[in-house]
Amino acid sequence: MVQKVQEKVKKILLGEIRYTSSNLAFNILISKMQKKVKADPACMDACLSELDEFLTKYPIVAKVDLANIAVL
Amino acid sequence: MLITLEETRKLINDGKILHIAADETMLAQLPQGKWIGGTTPYFIGDEGGTMTKEKLFVSVIDYAEDARIAVYGKYNVFQIVEECYDNGLTMLIMPYGSEVAAKYAKSAPDVEELLMHPTIGWISGYELNTVGEAKVFDGTTGASYTDKAVVMYIKLPEEKSAMINMINIFTDDKTDPVIRFEDNDLSVTDCTVNGQKVNFAEYIAKKGIDPKMPLVADYNGSYLNISIKAVDEGKVHFYAPVFRDIEYRFATKVDDYAAEFRNRVESAGARNPVFSCNCILNYLYGELEGKKTPPYTGPVTFGEVAYQLLNQTLVYCEILG
Repeated sequence: MVQKVQEKVKKILLGEIRYTSSNLAFNILISKMQKKVKADPACMDACLSELDEFLTKYPIVAKVDLANIAVL
Repeated sequence: MLITLEETRKLINDGKILHIAADETMLAQLPQGKWIGGTTPYFIGDEGGTMTKEKLFVSVIDYAEDARIAVYGKYNVFQIVEECYDNGLTMLIMPYGSEVAAKYAKSAPDVEELLMHPTIGWISGYELNTVGEAKVFDGTTGASYTDKAVVMYIKLPEEKSAMINMINIFTDDKTDPVIRFEDNDLSVTDCTVNGQKVNFAEYIAKKGIDPKMPLVADYNGSYLNISIKAVDEGKVHFYAPVFRDIEYRFATKVDDYAAEFRNRVESAGARNPVFSCNCILNYLYGELEGKKTPPYTGPVTFGEVAYQLLNQTLVYCEILG
């Protein structure tokens, strides 16, 4: 994830901005990560890594989300 | 596509990789081959919703680079996250009422890595109002099971990816009371409503809640349903488990279930789903008999799997790239 997108994703996990994907798995994952971060803010980096791994694994599916998040 | 027994046999004998949904009497007559199957007599075909025990709904998996079939019980069903292809699609079928289905339903949300592997499937069933038995079939051996999950691992070409999605007519109203449960369970006695402990069955009765309305949980804008199976003797039984730490609300009322379902199907935007299945409750409440839902055709099921078990939902898979 590029820095700009990562900053936006961080805000999504903190609930500061809302982004709903058209990808069910990504939404469930974001929801899980939001709960983790809320329970323990120190796990933000681990959550970002997990989201990054997800987005990197399926670039064809992720490209729409990455483009959308970049312009939030 | 809904086809005859002879047409299905030919596809199997031609070596095609197949997903098959049909009545048990049909599945039991098929030759061995690279197929998995599950029982249901309800389908959404090209001609609309129908109940038949004389045809089979066959999906030809011609987008696969390769495929493997495996059978699992309740103790090892989550080996699917280890044994799947790195870039693939996992299709699984589990019998209604089986322990493996209950185990999957309760534990899937907690399984690390599951979301990393596109996983779609359904719960097999039988004709309603009969004493039926849900089964799954492993086509490689011809064996059928009432207590196992049958899984097909589909390998995709490197430049392709599977995307699982769903169509759900239900949402919530964020001003409605928040309902929480103490444990991951298929049956509950108590819950909290806005933090106050109450008997859930009494709450439903007192509020006059229509049990056709599922509980919904908001997963970052994707609404996942939990449908009520029965309310009896102070207990509420669900078709899929509720989870602790998840906020639920009852779905907002839908005035015309059938019309709302049609609207959602028309606006969903999938171009070419390679597989889809739809809940028996949508079939009944949405009055889908004789109605078409293009481009979504497939078995009508006793539960849908899009990573985790869902209810009152149409799930589908597209191959992108």
